[in-house]
Amino acid sequence: MAEDLVLDTAIRDWVLIPLSVVMVLIGVLRYFVSKLMRSAQIPDAKLVKEGQVIVRARNLRAAANFIPPKSFRARRLYYSNEENGLLYVPKGQAPNAQAQMFSDPNMAMDMMKKNLSMIIPQTLTFAWVNFFFSGFVAAKIPFPLTQRFRAMLQNGIDLSTVDVSYVSSRSWYFLNLFGLRGLFSIILGEENATDDTQRMMQMTGFGFDPTKSLGAEKDGLDIVQHDWTMPKFERRAEAVLRKLVR
Amino acid sequence: MVTKSEEEQLNRLEAQVDNAGGGAWEYLCLVRKLKVRRPDKVLKHGLAILNDSKKRSALGTEEWTLCEQVAVAAMDCQSLDVAKDCIKVLRKRFPDSKRVGRLEGMLLEAKGLWAEAEKAYSSFLEDNPFDQVIHKRRVALAKAQGNITTAIECLNKYLDTFMADHDAWRELAEIYVSLQMYKQAAFCYEELILSQPTNPLHHLAYADVLYTIGGLENLQAAKKYYASTINLTGGKNRRALFGVCLCTSAIGQLSKGRNKEDKDSPELQSLAVAALEKDYKQRAPGKLPLLTSALKSLRVSS
Repeated sequence: MAEDLVLDTAIRDWVLIPLSVVMVLIGVLRYFVSKLMRSAQIPDAKLVKEGQVIVRARNLRAAANFIPPKSFRARRLYYSNEENGLLYVPKGQAPNAQAQMFSDPNMAMDMMKKNLSMIIPQTLTFAWVNFFFSGFVAAKIPFPLTQRFRAMLQNGIDLSTVDVSYVSSRSWYFLNLFGLRGLFSIILGEENATDDTQRMMQMTGFGFDPTKSLGAEKDGLDIVQHDWTMPKFERRAEAVLRKLVR
Repeated sequence: MVTKSEEEQLNRLEAQVDNAGGGAWEYLCLVRKLKVRRPDKVLKHGLAILNDSKKRSALGTEEWTLCEQVAVAAMDCQSLDVAKDCIKVLRKRFPDSKRVGRLEGMLLEAKGLWAEAEKAYSSFLEDNPFDQVIHKRRVALAKAQGNITTAIECLNKYLDTFMADHDAWRELAEIYVSLQMYKQAAFCYEELILSQPTNPLHHLAYADVLYTIGGLENLQAAKKYYASTINLTGGKNRRALFGVCLCTSAIGQLSKGRNKEDKDSPELQSLAVAALEKDYKQRAPGKLPLLTSALKSLRVSS
């Protein structure tokens, strides 16, 4: 086992530093490009309203016991009657998210723009790193690590004898890709950081269906047992006052 | 809602700034964060910073935020020239910003050019029908002109979409009360209680409205809500204490001669009277005779 691999200073000057600098520059560039391509989004009227309906219905469910029974019944009817209740979704009318996406070209366009600004630079830089810097041992971290980290730190080097604390160039690329977020938030301002990981999360969360939560909210409202707490409060108020007067 | 500690902090900072102790920027930031309305102070100290080129450049991009804040405060104080200058600077920096456009609309409003302001707001709403601030400005505009029915219309339209906005519900409730449309106001207050069930002010206002509508059932409900206000404020709210007394006497009058089956809290009003008397003894002993005579006229001072 090679105890001490001596790393050439030229590797530092021509691999490690250029790689980091290029990654930062690409991040900044991508931010500006995506800013150019971003179209001002006007939220869909129905979506906005549905979100608000859900909030209001949730409030009703949570605080139902604070209003008189008559008012509660009127509200419940308003929300969940089968003709034009706010929470009532007619069967078969619930739109399929997938179908909606294809029927609305704008939506697909936005998705594509987002993806393009993310995927194209990534593939290009990855190809560039692979072509020029494959197989370099670019850096050494100053503490020992267990074998499990080999896949993370020595991507591209298929040697089991090299100590795990050495970092290969391709791994350095990945570390930069995901680790530069803090730096971007300093350079580009707090909320402007291009955050790949978060974007990926959004991608997977796509297809959220508000009509489903409308239905769930309606079911929740239907089973609420109304029990007006105010009569209890009278007795409690008496106790409060008794303490105050004494 | 501004909490007590936040208010204390604000007042401390204000005193410090007023006595030239520095910290003007922190004070302005806090005012902005808490959304309190102290236009005279904001105008004075904000303008001092804006006129000092060194301090101004030290703010960096925050300079524009301050400009906006000072412009709004200046409109509040009717120093329209200052507001105009601020807006001009902002317009130069952000040539096609909607936020600056909003300020310009407000300036038109401040000048009393209602029709032009209305036109500006409508064109903004055409661009983006979901701009909540513009919707609210339109309500304010209608109210300023004395067009209460238009204001109600606008608010209803706004609430049709943004129905979880409790501030709008409160505004609507207050308008309805001012027009003596108590049934509608009661609905709004119910909505407010639903969204903030632990805010005693909503319970109190709802009780007031119910008491005003009258009728045995409403009076009983009003009494219950006064009781819950007492509960939530720890008995510190005098209006609620008086309310309990009034409700009890009104209920007594209405249900005279009937069988008194619902006596769930017979002691409540005598306790409320005792609490009121104690409170007046402590804080305003001179007015105690007034209180006793008032309570006697209600025939509740047992």
